[in-house]
Amino acid sequence: MVFLVTLHFLVAATSPVLVRMLDRRAFLVLALVPAASFVWLLGPVSRATEGRPTYEHRAWIPQIGLDLDFGVNALSGIVALLVTGVGALVLVYCAWYFRPHDTEIWRFSGVLTGFAGAMLGLVLADNVYVLYVFWELTTVLSFLLIGHNPERRANRRAALNALIVTTFGGLAMLVGLVGLHALSGTARLSEILADPPEPGAAVTASIALVLVGALAKSALLPFHFWLPGAMAAPTPVSAYLHAAAMVKAGVYLVALLAPAFADTPGWRPVLIGLGIATMLLGGLRALRQYDVKLLLAYGTVSQLGFLVAMVGAGTRSAAFAGLALVCAHGLFKSALFLVVGVIDRSVGTRDLRELSGLRQARPFLFVTTVVAAASMAGLPVLFGFTAKEAALAAFVDLGEDLGHPGWGLFALVGIVVGSVLTVAYSARFVWGTFADKPGVEPCTPRDFSPWFAAVPAVLAALGLVAGFAGPFLTPRFATYSDQFPAGSHEALLTLWHGFTPALWLSVVAVAAGIALFVWRRPVAAAQHAIVDRFPFPDAERAYQAVMRGVDRLAVEVTGTTQRGSLPVYLGIIMVALVVVPGLALVRAWERPEVRLSDNPLQIVVGVVMVAAAVLTVRSRRRLRAVLLLGVTGYGTSILFVAHGAPDLALTQVLVETFLLVTFVLVLRRLPPFFSDRPFNIARWWRVGVGTAVGLSVAGFAFVATNARTATPISAGWAEPAYEYGGGKNIVNVALVDIRAWDTIGELSVLVVAATGIASLIFLLTDRAGRQVRPRRVLTPDSNAWLAANLHDQRRSIVFEIVTRLVFHTVIVFSVYLMISGHNSPGGGFAGGLIAGLALMIRYLAGGREELDNAAPVDAGFVLGLGLAVAALSGLLPTLLGGGVLQSAIIDIPIPVLGELHLVTSVFFDVGVYLVVVGLALDVLRSLGSGIDAHMEDEDGGAPDPTKDKVPV
Amino acid sequence: MTANLVLIIVVGVLVGSGVTLVLERSLTRILVGFVLIGNGLNVLFLVVSGPAGAAPILGLSGDPMADPLPQVMALTAIVITLGTTAFGLALAYRAWQLTGTDDVQDDLEDDLIRRRAARDEVSATFDEADSELPDEGYAGDSTLAPEDEVPA
Amino acid sequence: MSDSLLDQLVLAPVILPLLGAGLCLAFGRFAEAQRVISILTLLAVVASACVLLVRSDQHGPQAFNVGGWPAEIGISLVADRLSSLLLLISTIVTLCVLLYSIGQGIVEFGRDTPLSVFYPTFLVLSAGVSNAFLSADLFNLFVGFEILLASSYVLITLGGTEARVRSGTIYIIVSLASSALFLIAIACVYAATGTVNFAQLALRMQDLPGSTATMLQLLLLLTFAVKAAVFPLSAWLPDSYPTAPAPVTAVFAGLLTKVGVYAMLRTQTLLFPTHELRTLLLWASVLTMVVGIMGAVAQSDIKRVLSFTLVSHIGFMLFGIAIASELGVAGAIFYIIHHITVQTTLFLVAGLVEYRSGTTNLDRLGGLARHAPVLSVMFFVPAMNLAGIPPFSGFLGKLALLEAGVDAGGWLALLGVAAAVATSLLTLYAVAKIWNRAFWQPLADPEDDTPVPFDPAVLGGSLHGRSGVSTATQRETTWKTDTEGERLPVRMALPTIALGLVTVALTVFAGPLFAMTERAAEELHERTPYIEAVLGDG
Repeated sequence: MVFLVTLHFLVAATSPVLVRMLDRRAFLVLALVPAASFVWLLGPVSRATEGRPTYEHRAWIPQIGLDLDFGVNALSGIVALLVTGVGALVLVYCAWYFRPHDTEIWRFSGVLTGFAGAMLGLVLADNVYVLYVFWELTTVLSFLLIGHNPERRANRRAALNALIVTTFGGLAMLVGLVGLHALSGTARLSEILADPPEPGAAVTASIALVLVGALAKSALLPFHFWLPGAMAAPTPVSAYLHAAAMVKAGVYLVALLAPAFADTPGWRPVLIGLGIATMLLGGLRALRQYDVKLLLAYGTVSQLGFLVAMVGAGTRSAAFAGLALVCAHGLFKSALFLVVGVIDRSVGTRDLRELSGLRQARPFLFVTTVVAAASMAGLPVLFGFTAKEAALAAFVDLGEDLGHPGWGLFALVGIVVGSVLTVAYSARFVWGTFADKPGVEPCTPRDFSPWFAAVPAVLAALGLVAGFAGPFLTPRFATYSDQFPAGSHEALLTLWHGFTPALWLSVVAVAAGIALFVWRRPVAAAQHAIVDRFPFPDAERAYQAVMRGVDRLAVEVTGTTQRGSLPVYLGIIMVALVVVPGLALVRAWERPEVRLSDNPLQIVVGVVMVAAAVLTVRSRRRLRAVLLLGVTGYGTSILFVAHGAPDLALTQVLVETFLLVTFVLVLRRLPPFFSDRPFNIARWWRVGVGTAVGLSVAGFAFVATNARTATPISAGWAEPAYEYGGGKNIVNVALVDIRAWDTIGELSVLVVAATGIASLIFLLTDRAGRQVRPRRVLTPDSNAWLAANLHDQRRSIVFEIVTRLVFHTVIVFSVYLMISGHNSPGGGFAGGLIAGLALMIRYLAGGREELDNAAPVDAGFVLGLGLAVAALSGLLPTLLGGGVLQSAIIDIPIPVLGELHLVTSVFFDVGVYLVVVGLALDVLRSLGSGIDAHMEDEDGGAPDPTKDKVPV
Repeated sequence: MTANLVLIIVVGVLVGSGVTLVLERSLTRILVGFVLIGNGLNVLFLVVSGPAGAAPILGLSGDPMADPLPQVMALTAIVITLGTTAFGLALAYRAWQLTGTDDVQDDLEDDLIRRRAARDEVSATFDEADSELPDEGYAGDSTLAPEDEVPA
Repeated sequence: MSDSLLDQLVLAPVILPLLGAGLCLAFGRFAEAQRVISILTLLAVVASACVLLVRSDQHGPQAFNVGGWPAEIGISLVADRLSSLLLLISTIVTLCVLLYSIGQGIVEFGRDTPLSVFYPTFLVLSAGVSNAFLSADLFNLFVGFEILLASSYVLITLGGTEARVRSGTIYIIVSLASSALFLIAIACVYAATGTVNFAQLALRMQDLPGSTATMLQLLLLLTFAVKAAVFPLSAWLPDSYPTAPAPVTAVFAGLLTKVGVYAMLRTQTLLFPTHELRTLLLWASVLTMVVGIMGAVAQSDIKRVLSFTLVSHIGFMLFGIAIASELGVAGAIFYIIHHITVQTTLFLVAGLVEYRSGTTNLDRLGGLARHAPVLSVMFFVPAMNLAGIPPFSGFLGKLALLEAGVDAGGWLALLGVAAAVATSLLTLYAVAKIWNRAFWQPLADPEDDTPVPFDPAVLGGSLHGRSGVSTATQRETTWKTDTEGERLPVRMALPTIALGLVTVALTVFAGPLFAMTERAAEELHERTPYIEAVLGDG
């Protein structure tokens, strides 16, 4: 059965091509798919109706119970035949309904065919989740079909309403199905129905949720309003989705579950009550419509209520009648919709105040309509009659079957009144569509190919045939209803079973209905009066109010949570840090074991740093803040020394210096003071949060440190660092070898940061060229030591001389530092940073041309080279058969100097060195030269010395 | 393992004052705050590395060495802070270039929605109900292609 | 290929992109070379990710100790089923986005543009993501985060326009804060346990007093929650993502937050299997789902709507983590995979809409269903997938999570189920609003809406941006006068379609995929395979 469904979707996918080839006649080809399914199903269905259902199982995601289980049983088989049969006919009808060269049907045809597939899958599904899958698919596809002509705002809204309402029900149903799955341990419908879970609160809740889905889908109160809106869809869609197929899904589900769960508390009151209420409301509304399509729509609402009341009643005879009614309704309602389509397309209006004289003009169509409408009204010899007789009979005995006479009587009265209304609006439909109306000039319909009108005729005829086929149908429908306990009479479909109460009730209904129609004017007046006097709560308005409320809530919630202000966001994070782990901290807190300090130096430096930090917060001058920041930085490096971390100290000093200069380079452009904001509550708030965070971090440190029991993993580093890493300086070995993976990562961070800086400064400026291609410049005046073009007041000969003398020495030293780093403090970072500082001095002394002279290379190139070297020196050992970043130790004997103890990880350090130099170069080019250039642009030529003065 | 009180106090003060600065609006000030926090965290790594000791360099002295691993982590952290801070400074400069201030501005779209909330309005995309009725829209069009006619 | 080499394959997803990035920079002036290098690199990474997935599924977690040091000394990278799955899907996504941006770059600026910034940064980003997924060392995880964050700083401010500087600043500062939190957490963890190696941590955490362990757990969770944008730490995301160039936003939305979720999942299952903190996490997930989707409903710009749904759906994953049952974790993993692909696809589509119409603001869009049918299909399918419409992967993941929640029982779990259902309904509502507005509603007459200034540096860093401006503005005007808009740029559309097909494939092959995620969940619950892979048996 999977292949039937898949076939639909495959063909649907190809339909745009078909439409391109055959235009609207493509529908005839598409119709073959449901038709073929219909034929294929005949066999299994006849077997199923003889009590031999067929099931098939394919595993998909067994872990969540979602397997491709399909099956044909007495109920699903019959509904499947209805769905595929009507589907095929409707598709045929489309081939004439749409105008030639309609630009939208390539989409429409695909969606409609896909929908037919989804609908078939829905009824054949034997797995709760598969059922839900197709259930939602039909919802989405009907969304697209209702929005077929999205130009009108109302159509878009109608589509959205249908989508939201049915999906709301669908999701409720999904939760219910999950519950059923969990309670009964299986997701297969046949198994759940075979032995349902023990009744209980959980089961009741699950079933209730499932019913919400069914009611929403079948447009019962209070969800009924989406269905009339759905009439925005092309009439074939209304005929198929909103009469024969999709809206029946809810009825089908109720019918499916009824044998096992009809005794669940609340089941009958809800279904019969809501069903009858919907039946009456729909009927009344139908009597007030002028658009014949809307009239049918409300008629459908009414009929759906009737159907749910029948299949939900949960007695054998009622179930039997319900199934019969489902089929009858599918036939006559789709026929009537298709008739409306023909009239609409040939006359151009659906307003019964404008339609007139069609009986003479379209006798054939008239006959079709009369037959179908009569079936709807339940007049004899038609399927609608036999089915309704069975229904009335069933409800006559309902009280007895349920042992609850009151219920039975209420229900019986309800459906009789409902039938009266049905007769009335059936008459109104025929009259409104075909009667000659005084004062309305007769319409002159266009001619259409006879096939167009043939399709509804076929459906109506089927209704007639089925009326006589009672003996054939009865046992087949009974196969389904026999799942229920036997009732007080054996239900059957027949044109005549004597003067039973049911017959009299039908007579009453027809007579009263005719009366209602004849005196329609006073009736209408009365209706208006009543409705205007007691305004009934309008479900649609309620829905709109809910959606509006949700939207308002969304705006309010977003307005409060989404402040858009960075300080607020950071504040929340910081408060979370204080509160969330803070609570755990309080729980974990016990008197900490502390030592004051390891040496007096720590105390002295500590005091200085604390003071500097506090002053930094208080300072409103940018430069002052940065310098104080530097104090804390250098203080940190002293603490490193005091702790026994020379490498850290060295790096920290260099980094701090580099950072200071970078800060200054940028600050020279910014106003000297921080934007001053009034001394207000916010400030205290900031200080409070800061203090709290500081305290809790200290607390974390205490608790965590005291909790240490195990020895640190680095305890055993010393030996392998030398044996395996080949270096005496453990920290450096760790950097370039043990934890070289971290180092590679931080290199890439530096590289990326550097490129980012350049991209921000040299953005969309022609100066980019200069940045990319630095070139040597000739000294403007030969007597200068450096090729600087600075203006005299900014030049300091002494500084230039010193720079020129020192520069190369420093560079050499940096290289030495890099190589020697393996055994003594130093390493690639320190070396690179020193080289960077050397470049910085060149720049400060001589400006950007001088920088370009010092390093006539593209910073990006150096960075890239560095990263590549580091990565390659990591990969190289792999090619030598070692592991990635595994270092080999090579001792090269050199005659005079003795022996060079070389470790391959030195190449890695070279990479580090290059990256750091590249970063320095990049920072100087961007934040130094780049900003210089910007300033020259603005100040026109010479940068203002006072602004440009850089402290050295 | 006992905790070094002085160092922890330093950590607390540095981080605390750093956070205070970070909650400001001026970008450079925020960056200063983060560098301050960074320094504090470097000291924190000293705290967690246990007692001070000799430099972890073999053959330098016989005393017990300081734990090298936190040093390595701190060093990595220092360098990363360097990179990100430098980028942040470039960003601050760019912001100043564009807006004439390095203060962090609030988000505009959020502001719009906050105003709607203040005025008790629905969202801009909410589809208010109106009296228009849905209709499939073919009604009334009288264009008819010749092939629709029945061949006489 | 020798076995030792095959063992080192774990490093490839990180080292190769870095090498590629270095080369890209070194060849900064040859755009063509950069393109070739980038594509080849990512292709190689995808290939290695495939191999890793197969091997880790067959032979258990693939561990490798860098530099040949024993695990308890050096750094080890581990690719177990979870890591390899996420690695594979993320690299595929990255590749598609790269192709897309190449297409866009070509469309925007013509052949000879030196995108000297974009390619290396993008490669480094992917390296960082891979490293975060693979690292078996807490501090190295931090480094991985820093790699991807640093490159994301550059990418989000590409072009340095005022809007991007503003939103970029928010993003960068918040990320700096989260990095600081991470360092605090690492320091405390090391202080308490004396190690940062995941496997050893898993063993040593058990010896700590419960309350201290909980403190450390909360420190880590808080850090990752900021990165994963969990309410109330999520507000920065919708303010920062949408303004970035479309491919950048796409890859951020797809990957970055998921890295945070992954870190949560890893630490929760490996380090703290016994302290679940279920109540806290459940509340966080419920609030994230609801508040996030509320934001989406309130927005009027496609990119912002998508950003808020991104936040909201993080809640789904968090829900699975909170439930912590095997089904819950499996569902969370499946949902992560689904969300990475679908969210990226949608942002790429949003980029196409922006390219075609010059804006993603719903008030200025319309009529796309008629004028751009292909684009409308490209949007509709992943949008329905995001809304959890069956049979797409979003529904499958959600179903697993719902079942896990119902099985777990307890009113809070059921509240979570209800929140999840409500969230998917509102997600559907939000995307349906987009559909109604941008695709169905006819475009209001072009005159009355002012053309938004099109961002010149769509791939920023371009040093010839000015030409970009002119072409962009030209296109702006042509679009406004011509409702037909431009033809879809094939070189941008194809990668998007490819990714869309991946999202559909997640549904088609959901059977084996879910089986895999469940095996991954088992592995996480056992813990021993991971620990033994790192430390060796015994």
